[in-house]
Amino acid sequence: MPYRLHLMVCAGTGCVSNHALELRDALSAELAKRGLGKEIEVVTTGCNGFCGVGPILLVQPDGIFYQKVQVKDVPLLVEEHLVKGRPVKSLMFTPPEAKEPVPKMRDIPFFGKQMLVALRNRGMIDPEKIEDYIARGGYQALAKALTTMTPKQIIEEIKASGLRGRGGGGFPTGIKWETCVHAHSDDGVRYLVCNADEGDPGAFMDRSIIEGDPHSVIEGMVIGAYAIGAHQGYIYVRHEYPLALRRFTIALDQAREYGLLGKDILGTGFDFDIEVHRGAGAFVCGESTALMASIEGRVGEPRAKYIHTVEVGLYNKPTVLNNVETFANVPVIIERGAKWFAAIGTEHSKGTKVFSLAGRVKNTGLVEVPMGLSLRELIFDIGGGIADDGEFKAVQTGGPSGGFIPEDLLDLPVDYEKLYEAGSMMGSGGVVVMDETSCMVDVARFFVDFLQSESCGKCTPCREGIKALHGILSRICDGKGSEADLAMLEELCSVIADTSLCALGGSAPNPVLTSIRYFRSEYEAHIQGKCPAGVCRALITFRINDKCTGCHLCFKACPTSAVLGEPKQMHTIIQEKCIKCGACYDVCKFDAVTKE
Amino acid sequence: MIKLRIDGNEVEVNAGTPLLKAAQKLNIEIPTLCYYEGIEPYAACRVCMVEVVRGRRRRMVTACNYPATDGIEVFTENERVRRARRLNLEMLLGRCSEVPVIRELAAKYGVEKSRFGYDPKEKCILCGLCVRMCSDIVKANVLSFAYSGPRRKVVTPFEREMATDVCIACGACAHVCPTGAITIEDLSQRRGEVPEMPLGPKTAISIPFQQAVPKVPYIDPDACIKMQTGGCGICAQVCEPEAINYTMQDEVVELDVGQILVATGYQIFEASQMAQYGYGKLDNVLSALEFEKMLNSTGPTGGRVLMKNGKEPRAIGLIHCIGSRDARYHKYCSRVCCMYALKFAHLVKDRTNAEVYQFYIDMRAFGKGYEEFYSRILDEGVNMIRGKAAEVVEATWGNEREGHLLVRCEDTLIGKFREVPVDMVVLCAAIEPNADQDRIGQIFSLSRSPDGFFLERHPKLDPMGTVNDGIYLAGCCQGPKDIPDTVAQAQGAAARILALISKGEVFLDPIRACIDENLCGGCKVCNNLCPYSAITFDDVKKVSIVNETLCKGCGTCVAACPAGAITGSGFTDEQIFAEIEGILADAGNK
Amino acid sequence: MAKLTISELQKLREKLAQERQTREGNARGQIIIHMGTCGIAAGARKVMTALLEAMDKQNVRDVIVNTSGCAGMCSKEPMATVQMAQQAPVKYISLNEEKIVRILNEHVLKGSVVKEYALAMGSERVG
Repeated sequence: MPYRLHLMVCAGTGCVSNHALELRDALSAELAKRGLGKEIEVVTTGCNGFCGVGPILLVQPDGIFYQKVQVKDVPLLVEEHLVKGRPVKSLMFTPPEAKEPVPKMRDIPFFGKQMLVALRNRGMIDPEKIEDYIARGGYQALAKALTTMTPKQIIEEIKASGLRGRGGGGFPTGIKWETCVHAHSDDGVRYLVCNADEGDPGAFMDRSIIEGDPHSVIEGMVIGAYAIGAHQGYIYVRHEYPLALRRFTIALDQAREYGLLGKDILGTGFDFDIEVHRGAGAFVCGESTALMASIEGRVGEPRAKYIHTVEVGLYNKPTVLNNVETFANVPVIIERGAKWFAAIGTEHSKGTKVFSLAGRVKNTGLVEVPMGLSLRELIFDIGGGIADDGEFKAVQTGGPSGGFIPEDLLDLPVDYEKLYEAGSMMGSGGVVVMDETSCMVDVARFFVDFLQSESCGKCTPCREGIKALHGILSRICDGKGSEADLAMLEELCSVIADTSLCALGGSAPNPVLTSIRYFRSEYEAHIQGKCPAGVCRALITFRINDKCTGCHLCFKACPTSAVLGEPKQMHTIIQEKCIKCGACYDVCKFDAVTKE
Repeated sequence: MIKLRIDGNEVEVNAGTPLLKAAQKLNIEIPTLCYYEGIEPYAACRVCMVEVVRGRRRRMVTACNYPATDGIEVFTENERVRRARRLNLEMLLGRCSEVPVIRELAAKYGVEKSRFGYDPKEKCILCGLCVRMCSDIVKANVLSFAYSGPRRKVVTPFEREMATDVCIACGACAHVCPTGAITIEDLSQRRGEVPEMPLGPKTAISIPFQQAVPKVPYIDPDACIKMQTGGCGICAQVCEPEAINYTMQDEVVELDVGQILVATGYQIFEASQMAQYGYGKLDNVLSALEFEKMLNSTGPTGGRVLMKNGKEPRAIGLIHCIGSRDARYHKYCSRVCCMYALKFAHLVKDRTNAEVYQFYIDMRAFGKGYEEFYSRILDEGVNMIRGKAAEVVEATWGNEREGHLLVRCEDTLIGKFREVPVDMVVLCAAIEPNADQDRIGQIFSLSRSPDGFFLERHPKLDPMGTVNDGIYLAGCCQGPKDIPDTVAQAQGAAARILALISKGEVFLDPIRACIDENLCGGCKVCNNLCPYSAITFDDVKKVSIVNETLCKGCGTCVAACPAGAITGSGFTDEQIFAEIEGILADAGNK
Repeated sequence: MAKLTISELQKLREKLAQERQTREGNARGQIIIHMGTCGIAAGARKVMTALLEAMDKQNVRDVIVNTSGCAGMCSKEPMATVQMAQQAPVKYISLNEEKIVRILNEHVLKGSVVKEYALAMGSERVG
């Protein structure tokens, strides 16, 4: 009997941690109980991207989108929607600006403005079933590439599409492949490596693609391997991505079983196989030379490269290294043609880009948008604006070493060059939104601290320089900074960027430089002893004003007994005892505790 | 060859030459910290950065590993470069604030004090030279980096203090360390072991001793890293004439010669056998040869007399006759010790203010001028104590609690027991036959006298000949002697050899053994009996053959041959019996 | 599973895609069975099962079968609405197993409305 309804349960890591698997089991059990098991199918899918409202349930073919579905909602949902055909409003999503819930997924602005290329199968397939992938046209591009195209034609097609590396560098993929083909290899051995060592905090584009659609990556890799003449590929996946690892391994086995990987692929005589290599989680191993060193079994440290890895890479052979999203784009380009792909985006940045929206934005999650979309559209239309109706302050793109972009540059299109000119970068696609509660000096310090501990420590500027940056920023946050410190920061930053061995150090100054460039007044305020956002503890004072009703809550909340006062009388704070934890500020219902 | 410009000067190099090398060609110095000739560039210190201009693109690169390409322009000292170096050095100075190399280099770029920190203790700049040396060159893989970011450091496996099970103590890490952050410590003493080389280790390549012939460096295969692990190979890289050959093996050369001079020398009596003198157990108890090495101006101390702690001794005791003239070891006199002990005394007096005590049984100043030298030493104020030292023990001296020695002996001239405090003791150990003297003797069919040395043919009439014609003796293999005696004997032997060579032919006594091949049964009894190794076996004919040149006609084989196949030529049994009869013919008549 | 060749991949894809058509929301039309309490009491469940079985038998995969609540004409239950793409919906009343199969065959698959069972064309106006 054909299934008349399909319940697509999102099983990305975000939803799974919100008990999506329990939800799936409860749904199956409820359907079985009602004898609907044969006409309604429950499908576990990869991440839908709207992780903030998980677990997500999509009912197809109706296209009804349910959010935050709990196990206890299951009987009602089955009774109302699945049996009686009355979609349950209480489980639908209400966009921030709307009054009424929006039933259909495509009508929700978060989804409506997206354009899915790399994430084309998102939410529509079970990632553990190759049949689902094939049903949606999977491996058709591979068949086309292997039978109707020469390697050279594939490379030309990728070049014409304008696809650029999605891992951060933005190097044109087609040119990279072409260089690899032309690079000399004694025995003709070339390697193809997929970089899935996604380390930017809060960014999970690659994880989501592997978890949700592993075959798209495999297909892209096989096409790439055919184009460059590689017979062995590697995928370097972080050990912290257990689900991605598991699904990718399952997908590899299925692809081998179907003859889509391994010897004599699709009967064409082309051999290629992929080995999974788990990374131990060093941020720096996302850097190409460090990653290859790690695969070879050496310490994951970048080495100085004036000869590119595409010429002398893994085991000293010409090696193509692309990230997950790049490979996921490849089959679409082959199938639909370079022209179609090149029509999307801006002059130099083609296609779409997956971003992970995080920070002080209403709709956090994963989105895929065409290049050239403005940051404003990304944050306010798709992201739904600032959380808690706060005021936008800055957005950081490109991961921890991306720069901060202020409000007056919000109309900047998402484009490799434009972001670079603004002092930031595309990176792998992390987007962190900050509102007025963020202190830019503190945020810069936070990211510098992250980069300091993730630096491998090999070269002087990255190891000692970032440490020095952290020291100076901490000094400013502690209110001990001076004008000279600002000049020193800028001097240090330019030398670190100029002389670091790899891109980690090279881009590390971005948060500091852009925060000085766009938010210099905040630094000056700190030097004068004020933290405008009220974040830096050394620079804030908590006081109780005459709105105090003597509710005594702050008295109880204070961990150091710094609050004095009898119930029903005005309370005061003893500054000497105050550790500025903000507990009193948080508990006060009358705005009587002020922070300055 | 390609052309590039460095600081405005054109230079021609092979494509791919690192800029650092290209600059050297122009005598342009680029500072480096993590670079070392022969080790793959690491590009970590970022001090060697230069600016490269290619077309419209300007970028900072590390000179140590940036390959030269045609038409590029390099700036090694412009403002951008200077600023990069200045700041990187300032960062390093903030890390290692008191390391002279960093301070000097930083000062060159105008940095006296770092704004980024002050650490007087840290010496390691994490240049990784030691790690690369240990893993890439030595291939011992002991040192590696651990931790990341600012916590990075160089560690031994599992950060154990002593990685002695893997460290081969080659010292290469300490050698390449630019800041002196690595020191080599002899842990053997901490582990209660006797150090093998009291006067310090020598390198794997050395000239064995100053008078070595040929005077060329030699690689000790047991110490050479290349031969042990396959790593290193630095000597071959730096040797311009390409004279290093690791695959060279000991060769056995077969020469056809007519005469042989045996001059195999002697060995020194192992003084640690006489535990009472503390050799090998007490610091500052040295053998005479070690002391000689110390006195050598090209030796480990540069000729200075120093104790293990590096201080000059206040008193030195020289003990004669260690193992010589001693019924328990060697009864003979070693003949050289008295005189070299006097020489030591003279040199010590000459170079230090130390008191010198000679503990002797009696002075043997027998050679020409020896007695005069003895008198001179006495005039120099050397204390002569007649009496064999009984033992050397550790002792305190004045307020100092330990580390000093006490020599106990009987002074036979005053008839008293004495204890003499000294800082250092030198043992004049006996000359004794080589350990393999017996084996050498067998090869040349040489007899040995009761003392174990080779026996000369006649002590007075033929002191250099042996019972075997054409084999001669010279030097201490025949018995202890000093240099003049050795030279005299050797020259005498040489003259004998030359005399025979110039004569061109050898006169043999007519008496020799003769084997009748028809009677010889091939039992080989005679082969091993012949004291002159004159009988060999012919494997084709299956009979024994006498080498007539070697045969002395002694008759041993004649008497031993069970088949009666051997006769002495001119001395058949019949002839001998006839002779006897002839002699005895008249006997009955008398 | 034997290894695929190009043509086998093509066939497999077509088969799998057809099976999953409704998941994508691609369909030539939609049949909505009214499943209010009144509908279920009048036998809508049986009608639904019969419809699904018939579709399975004839390998009809591009028709969406959905449910809805009471349409307000409880006396005419079981009811169903057939909505073909770009056409006005047609409401059928007083259905049973045979009738729904005929509607499937004639209206949904061949395009001719089964006038005997039909109530009216078009849907009631909302608001």
